[in-house]
Amino acid sequence: MGEKLIISIDGKACACEKGEYLLQVARRNGIFIPSLCNHEGLEGLGACRLCIVEVTRGGRTQTVVSCIYPVEAEIEVQTQTNSIVEQRSVIVALLARLAPQSQTIAQMAKFMGADLPRLAERPGGDKCILCGLCVVACEQVGTGAIAKVNRGVEKEIATPYHRPSAECIGCTACANVCPTGQIEYQQDEQGVTIWGRYFDYVACAACGKQFATAAAWEFSALSSASEAASVGVGADAGADAGAGAGAGAGAIGQGRTGVVADADALPAPPLCPECQRQQVAEWLASSSGRYGNVRVAMKELAGE
Amino acid sequence: MSERTTVCGTPPTAFGAATAVTPRRCLLVCCGTGCRANNAMGLADALEAAARDAGLDVTVSSDAPQIKRTGCNGFCENGPIVKVHPDDISYYKVKPEDAEPIIASLGNEPVARLLYRGEMRQRLTRQIDNPFYAHQQKLALRNIGEIDPLVIADYVAAGGYQALKKALQMSSEQIVEEVIASGLRGRGGAGFPTGIKWQTAAGYPAKPKYVICNGDEGDPGAFMDRSILEGDPHSVIEGLTIAALAIQAEQGFLYIRDEYGLALSNIAAAIAVAEADGYLGDDICGSGRKLRLEIVRGGGAFVCGESTALMASIEGRVGEPRAKYVRSAEKGLWGQPTVLNNVETLANIPYIILNGGAEFAKIGTAGSTGTKVFSLVGKVNRTGLIEVPMGASLRHMIYDIGGGIKRDRPFKAVQTGGPSGGCIPEGQLDLAVDFDTLDAEGAMMGSGGMIVMDEHDCMVEVARYYVKLLAEESCGKCTPCREGLRQMLGILTDITEGRGQVGDIELLERICATMTAASLCALGKTAANPVLSTIRHFRDEYQAHIRDRSCPAGVCPALTVYVIDAEKCTSCGACSRACPVGIVSGEKKVPYSIQSEKCIACGSCRDACRFDAVIAMRKEEVA
Ligand SMILES: Cc1cc2nc3c(=O)[nH]c(=O)nc-3n(C[C@H](O)[C@H](O)[C@H](O)COP(=O)(O)O)c2cc1C
Ligand code: SF4
Ligand code: SF4
Ligand code: SF4
Ligand code: FES
Ligand code: FES
Repeated sequence: MGEKLIISIDGKACACEKGEYLLQVARRNGIFIPSLCNHEGLEGLGACRLCIVEVTRGGRTQTVVSCIYPVEAEIEVQTQTNSIVEQRSVIVALLARLAPQSQTIAQMAKFMGADLPRLAERPGGDKCILCGLCVVACEQVGTGAIAKVNRGVEKEIATPYHRPSAECIGCTACANVCPTGQIEYQQDEQGVTIWGRYFDYVACAACGKQFATAAAWEFSALSSASEAASVGVGADAGADAGAGAGAGAGAIGQGRTGVVADADALPAPPLCPECQRQQVAEWLASSSGRYGNVRVAMKELAGE
Repeated sequence: MSERTTVCGTPPTAFGAATAVTPRRCLLVCCGTGCRANNAMGLADALEAAARDAGLDVTVSSDAPQIKRTGCNGFCENGPIVKVHPDDISYYKVKPEDAEPIIASLGNEPVARLLYRGEMRQRLTRQIDNPFYAHQQKLALRNIGEIDPLVIADYVAAGGYQALKKALQMSSEQIVEEVIASGLRGRGGAGFPTGIKWQTAAGYPAKPKYVICNGDEGDPGAFMDRSILEGDPHSVIEGLTIAALAIQAEQGFLYIRDEYGLALSNIAAAIAVAEADGYLGDDICGSGRKLRLEIVRGGGAFVCGESTALMASIEGRVGEPRAKYVRSAEKGLWGQPTVLNNVETLANIPYIILNGGAEFAKIGTAGSTGTKVFSLVGKVNRTGLIEVPMGASLRHMIYDIGGGIKRDRPFKAVQTGGPSGGCIPEGQLDLAVDFDTLDAEGAMMGSGGMIVMDEHDCMVEVARYYVKLLAEESCGKCTPCREGLRQMLGILTDITEGRGQVGDIELLERICATMTAASLCALGKTAANPVLSTIRHFRDEYQAHIRDRSCPAGVCPALTVYVIDAEKCTSCGACSRACPVGIVSGEKKVPYSIQSEKCIACGSCRDACRFDAVIAMRKEEVA
């Protein structure tokens, strides 16, 4: 990366870096391309196909999905040709029948004038457009509580066997990325209900604020404890110091901040992100005499 | 390398270089999957027993005949097949009780009743006399039916592993050049030039690299790859090894569908013996080059045959395709440079290396060189696996090889290319079949399925059938494919059930256009073919369903009832015996009749009648 390219989108010259995804470049330049299954920070899926555009490269024109099309050359892009507009409108009309309950899709369809009344609604169709973003979000969290099951027209998003998932930690990441609001959750004073399970909140030991579900906090504490251990061991093996320090600080912050007081008691008292950050800062300041740098500190924490 | 017993007969000539061995008489018993289903293994045992009883010792090298269990001869409907070499006699539909007469006849007159009967009922002795084989040219299938796939010496004696030895003396560039010169295009469907694919992967320095053989063969009814894997596994291994040399890969995979039991066991056995004999492993033929091969069993989803889904599946992820903006040759399996080729593609490689690309390019057409294996099925008199040069006409395949349409009915269409292929009408029978002509027709080569249809096939129902299959087999990841198929299935079902609406044809065309342009992988991009090609050539039939609530072919049950033409009925009663619901009745000398209200329009009576007395009528008209 790093190489600069100038591409043309609907006639406008847009600067970008080689390898950047076309949708990002367009957005940055104020050119609107409709999209549904794309979420910043998550791997692109290319599933909804709404973000199609025409790319001309070396005289050859091709229809691509802009969200995962890496810009590799000085291409010319058209986002609104007649055929693109037609195809997008058919796609939205198809989605409207798939997810008849979704207001997002209904509005989109209205805006585009996309309506194919002859098409049948999916029996039992809700708001889900089967884009799979929620699954990617859940994988990113590391839990893998939900999955795409079946293939073809039988495809759906579900927890294993449609039962409340043992893996789910109630983090609501899936619900927050869902483009249509299909995944619902109900909050009350003490906790949250999602995917058929109730999760208690946990309060920060320092400030008392409820900052996550207990399950989510435990999950992150456990995974970062093992992460801290592995980073600690691997830290000397030529790892880039900056990266090592960053990951290490995160690991300490999330997982075992309490170690300062009592290194062996697990689980450590829960701390919200703000309090964690503050504690780490204080602790590093107080121990800087003993520890030359963070990596040494981490090694110590990892029990070496 | 271990010395093994010699091979029998005259080995096939594709390699020319077969060393003459003492011609020992040999009985080749077809033990492919089709013949096995008809007790070919029992037959082979019976032949051995009969030979022993006749005082012939078949196990040691002697004057006694050898009995070999071979792969599929492609003519399974007439199996089990036994060939006698070097006499060149072919027997069909052989049963274990025929073993004795066959053994007794050796050296004398052949057993006449087991010979194939020609169109004039004459008995045909040699395989080449049989019209099913007479017009074929076998390259990919060169050894199948001629060697025992489990005996590596058979393969070697037929010229096997010569190409590998030659390739070991060549540079990577030279191998690639030879394959480019051959013009070979991938037989897995897309027809991508194999040499270019190899060259691209060879050009990336990243290591490790991988080679993969695609043996997923998901098309219902297709069995060319299975047949090659079963009947000549070493040719695939040799081809894959040469691919690995060309791109400098040291690890390869064979992705084979789980149902292919015999293919899996034969290829596993072949890998083991090739390793033991030094054709594979850590020191290929003493060159110091390495290749390890691993078999991966495919779970059976059609879409897993698609290259990126297949790689995802090998990596242990969900078998869903991904966008190919970066080619697999650069970033394939585990993000490393990867070459994926189809079984049949690979089986052609040894011939190309040994005889030169230019020699291969002489066969076939300019844009599509070599031969192609087709699975010819449907309403033809002779069905099976055939191999012809590219450019052979549909008419040649259907009439000369296939023996024409069953019961001399009029030909209606041929569906090529598997589920997302298209239907080609009578007017195009002289089409010279290759990758480009089929594409231009809105059909495709696909893996080489060829289903022949006659006037009793409804083209709307054909389209509906394939759309249903694709709707179930699509991975369901992207909107146009999954939702387009869902909606097209709904519309086509409506049309075949008498609920079609004016405007449906145009709506289908709109959805098709979007699927073709905007789907993620080739499944969705080609899924419109069965619909578009039938609309293009049989629009009238769609219109008849929609406007007149009539199915001209007399197939769609919601629109059709059968009646018996009293003039033509000879009271033979064939219809009555064929009817599964028992509503056809009559008696001698009185025309038969059908209780229309109970008719399920299955068409069995019409198929059974030899006098065309059963006619399909519009339901509305009769009611
Ligand atoms: C839905 C789908 C199914 C496919 N199934 C197969 C298959 O069963 N076997 C195969 O060799 N290629 C199959 N292909 C083609 C492969 O993606 C790929 O192009 C091929 O294996 C490459 O090898 P080749 O260049 O030697 O043909 C399929 C493609 C699609 C889109
Ligand atoms: S709430 Fe549950 S299902 Fe949703 S992302 Fe979090 S762990 Fe996964
Ligand atoms: S629930 Fe939401 S994010 Fe998940 S597949 Fe459906 S629409 Fe996409
Ligand atoms: S085109 Fe069909 S099979 Fe291919 S990725 Fe899309 S949904 Fe899956
Ligand atoms: S946003 Fe690009 S395919 Fe969905
Ligand atoms: S299995 Fe014997 S001819 Fe096919």
